[in-house]
Amino acid sequence: MVILISFDIDGTLDIGDPPGVLTMDMVRIVQKKGFLIGSCSDRPMSGQQAIWDRHQIPVDFVVSKQMLPEVKAKFQADVYYHIGDREDLDKKYALEAGFEFLWPHEAIEMPWFVEDDKPGGD
Amino acid sequence: MATQNQYQWRRDKDGLGVWDHRGKVAVAGYGHSPVDRRWDERSMDQSLGAYTILACRLAMEDAGVTPDQIDGIICCDSHIAGGSGGTASNWAPRPYFDPPYDSELGLTLINGEWLAKVMELPNVRFAPTGVPTIGEMVGMASQAIADGKCNTCLVIYPTGNLEGRYRRGGENADDYAKGARQWVAPWGNHGGNDFINIFPHNQYCLKYGGTHDDLAPFVINQHRNGLLTPWGYNASHGLEQLTVEDYVTSRYILNPLRLWDCDRPVNASAAYLFTTAERAKDMKQKPVYILNHASSRGTARSLTPTLDEIQAETGSTGRKIFEGAGITADDLSFENMYDGFALFHQFHIEGLGYRGMKFGDALDFYQTDISIEGPNPVLPSGGNIGSGRSRFWMHTDCIQQLQGRAGARSVTGVKPEIAVSGGPMPMGGNFTVWSASPD
Repeated sequence: MVILISFDIDGTLDIGDPPGVLTMDMVRIVQKKGFLIGSCSDRPMSGQQAIWDRHQIPVDFVVSKQMLPEVKAKFQADVYYHIGDREDLDKKYALEAGFEFLWPHEAIEMPWFVEDDKPGGD
Repeated sequence: MATQNQYQWRRDKDGLGVWDHRGKVAVAGYGHSPVDRRWDERSMDQSLGAYTILACRLAMEDAGVTPDQIDGIICCDSHIAGGSGGTASNWAPRPYFDPPYDSELGLTLINGEWLAKVMELPNVRFAPTGVPTIGEMVGMASQAIADGKCNTCLVIYPTGNLEGRYRRGGENADDYAKGARQWVAPWGNHGGNDFINIFPHNQYCLKYGGTHDDLAPFVINQHRNGLLTPWGYNASHGLEQLTVEDYVTSRYILNPLRLWDCDRPVNASAAYLFTTAERAKDMKQKPVYILNHASSRGTARSLTPTLDEIQAETGSTGRKIFEGAGITADDLSFENMYDGFALFHQFHIEGLGYRGMKFGDALDFYQTDISIEGPNPVLPSGGNIGSGRSRFWMHTDCIQQLQGRAGARSVTGVKPEIAVSGGPMPMGGNFTVWSASPD
């Protein structure tokens, strides 16, 4: 099953401003598991890419908030998730683009973010 | 000490002639606090009050002035997030901290009386209330020094921001847009602020040609200059240089206004030390002289200004600026007019006739070399867009460039001799002509 996850940055990832609850190590875990991952933020796309480069996490896409439909058109997946902290800028855009939406506190409970060799992994 | 501000200081009419006090008022120092995204409501060394005290101390130190020498404080007592109310502007009601932070003053609001008390400035005799925003404060301070209201004056602009959505409270958060707001602010503050920008901008493009995204070189240049301002938000928070692709793919706030046409609210404070040109000669830094200050107080016929109204007003403003300073547009080394939204800077500089510009020329002008290295620098400060919505970069940059203290941001394609700054809006604000020489 191919899962695509789009991460908002500010208020969602721990390196964001304000910091969110999802750590870059969690992102690494899903990336290593073969998820299609990337970021969808109001930060400039070049700035988003620089963040991933600094953390040495290869991502499949970086896009602006309104570009989730383009992500869906470009990548074939069984399910598309966007994780973000804003009703208007994350949930609204995600649902309109046909993504499932998770708040950061919901996402952190997902089994994806647990390493396979640890208890609780699926 | 605190006096209600009924002081008639504005120079807001055509035909006033050269300012009587041309070159007799000077800025002798400046100070800035760090620029944070917002106050966390806990760190007492990062509140707007603490940052304002820091900025004042740095400005006094820069000029070599002691607390007993300060006899004037001109401080905007409405912090920038507050105008439209709401969550981003209201810290209270919550428990207050120990004195001097046992009221809203010092936390999210600052005024002259509070500052004089907590900074132990014993000789302040002019500290008006109801002080306007930063564009006008500089003009007010210039005239106050000229009129002898005070001789050594701290001019302070605090800009607050708290967690929450900036200016999205009060009637902006209402489910209903009542009265005229149904036409100009149906979606709250952004509906209103943005509409007054996009309407004349669209008229402009229809009349003269060009498209919104022709602004890209201007916005990119703003970000570049901002990254050359070490204490600005972008530079001090490790932001990357904005690219043309970033700009043209950013989302619309209200089509065609893009995200990067807007500035980022911040929590910061700046202070300037104004005095007479005579006194400034004996202070630590090279004085920067005020050649003129001029006000614009245009009114629109209807709910929002039209292009023709804006052009009439900016043209008048340009005439007032130059007439009072006794100069022409050709004398400007560079310009630092306001950029609170990218869409209206063009109106300011066309009204000035900067570098021979006529109405309709700005978008083409933006496609030429407008960098600090070139012959036609546009906003070398980087403005609000480049460093955060403090509203003070434009003034600081004029001072630094003319003093030779702009560091990596120094203009090199022109000799910095005379500059203009001011705003905010093309239809209303205050503008200052700065000079390296009093003559």
